[in-house]
Amino acid sequence: MNRRTFLKALSAVPVLGGLGAFLAPVLRYLKPNLEPGLGVPQGKVPPDLAEGDLPKGEPLPIATLEELREPWSSKFFVFTQKYPQYTPELAKAATVPGVAIKLPWKLSFPGYKAGKEPTDIVVFSRICPHLGCIFNYVPNWREVTAGYGGYVPPEERRHGLMACPCHLSIYDPADREVPGRVLSGPAPRPPRYFTYEIRDGVIVVTGAEPGGIA
Amino acid sequence: MWDRLREWFRERKEKLDLFDETQVDRQDNPLYLLGQIVYFAWIAVVVSGILLMIWYEPTTHGAYNSILRIQHEVPLGWLIRGVHKYGADMLILAITLRIYRMYFLGEYKRPNELSWMILFGSLVLAMISGLTGYLLIWNQRAFWAAKVVLTVAVYLDELPLIGQTRFGSAIAFAFLGGPAEGQGTLTRFYAIHFGISALLLVAAEIYFYFTRRRRFVLSPTALVILALMLVVTSYVFPAEMGRRADPNRTPLPILSDWYFLALYQYVKYTPPLWAGLGPGLLIAYGMLVPFLDRSKGRRPSERPFFTVVGIMALTYFLVFTALIMFNIAVIGRDPHVVLLVTAATLGLGLVLEFRYRRRRKLAEAAAPAPAPRAAPARATVG
Repeated sequence: MNRRTFLKALSAVPVLGGLGAFLAPVLRYLKPNLEPGLGVPQGKVPPDLAEGDLPKGEPLPIATLEELREPWSSKFFVFTQKYPQYTPELAKAATVPGVAIKLPWKLSFPGYKAGKEPTDIVVFSRICPHLGCIFNYVPNWREVTAGYGGYVPPEERRHGLMACPCHLSIYDPADREVPGRVLSGPAPRPPRYFTYEIRDGVIVVTGAEPGGIA
Repeated sequence: MWDRLREWFRERKEKLDLFDETQVDRQDNPLYLLGQIVYFAWIAVVVSGILLMIWYEPTTHGAYNSILRIQHEVPLGWLIRGVHKYGADMLILAITLRIYRMYFLGEYKRPNELSWMILFGSLVLAMISGLTGYLLIWNQRAFWAAKVVLTVAVYLDELPLIGQTRFGSAIAFAFLGGPAEGQGTLTRFYAIHFGISALLLVAAEIYFYFTRRRRFVLSPTALVILALMLVVTSYVFPAEMGRRADPNRTPLPILSDWYFLALYQYVKYTPPLWAGLGPGLLIAYGMLVPFLDRSKGRRPSERPFFTVVGIMALTYFLVFTALIMFNIAVIGRDPHVVLLVTAATLGLGLVLEFRYRRRRKLAEAAAPAPAPRAAPARATVG
């Protein structure tokens, strides 16, 4: 390497540095969320904003035990969680659709008393852990076979199943070891669960398993 | 090294041919009209898009209603919207067919490598433009397509080493304009959808300015026929609306726009990380194919391996599209079949390639005292 090339190479350093100094604020410009309260009058920002992306909301009564008496009966609900989002008002409540399913047998479900007592009611978030579509609970497995790509469950799983319209992931809500086990399709893990309590014969959802879609 | 690179660029730049505007004497073959059709459709889409912006309202509450109004109330709104939608379809169809033409006829070879790379990149940009564009309707199809595509990016965080920077989540976050799909997403997609065409149009004008070529070398009759095709299609098949987006319900048969259907089927078959890596590898193959294919000949039979790969890609595109339209996907079985067929086809391609090369070598050996090597084949039209 002669002196000229060396000096040329050396002069590239400040050029690249300048480019980086220019690009860093540009990338920051692309980042959506503003600091909570930035440019908003005092007192308009809800206090929850400071707590970040937590699946947190008010306890929500979703169904009575009377409604879910039959095995494989279910109830859909929408849980409102609160986290910051880029909107003109700076904050927006996001919603998580869920489903409560009554099973004919008892199993250990992490959303009920941390899995210490067996229960026959499971409550799942309906956000598909694959790519975020909303999946369905289908009480009749034949409808799963007909509508969701032709998956035929093995003999012992011919009961209500959960299935996603987008990429045909199929989950078994009643698996005794892993409630929500992935039976078929590209989903990497079971759907997130809701934590719930039973208060005077009413199922009350108190929170959700933390974590995003992936 | 630097000088050689500059020389390489200078030579390719002179041979650039982005809209088939140098292929006038081949226009009896419709395959050589494709570039011109791309340019025509593009201009139609840009003009109708600007007209749509007059009535379109980019908010989650107002978007769907404003498009209903364009379609049903605004005088000639259906025509503007139809030209925009079918013009975009025409653009993507023509650019895809042109890519296949260039691939099978070896037109990506020296000195057209740069043309090929620009065209392939513009196909990707056109598809991104399509994806960001159909979200603007804010209907169910668009809502879930955007959600799915941006969640695929999140899985890139699973890559070893570079995944720890969490750049996948950062990409999703930047495009979504927030942690979930909402007003931020709509605003950003609107900007991207408009921005891609605006910037590329400026680039195309610079290209025409420096090459001093004519933009349209089509006959006026052909232009009128193309315009009539758009108008008649818009009238006979009014552009679809779909159902209003509902973040709490995914409808059961849910499809994307037609050019993403094959990809959609592929996503069902693979673990989610590969849903992102697969298309990435495909784009990388497309961009690099002029440098991977070192064979001299341009005819499909003179480079069997690459011909076989091209036919396989086309077949998969058609078969996957058909499968998803009939909602067939046995996930326990199909991926194995696809892998086996792919491996067998690639093997067949290699066998054909080696057989062809051996034959040619034998033929060369048998030929009496070959003439000094001929100059490498040039593009037939300057």
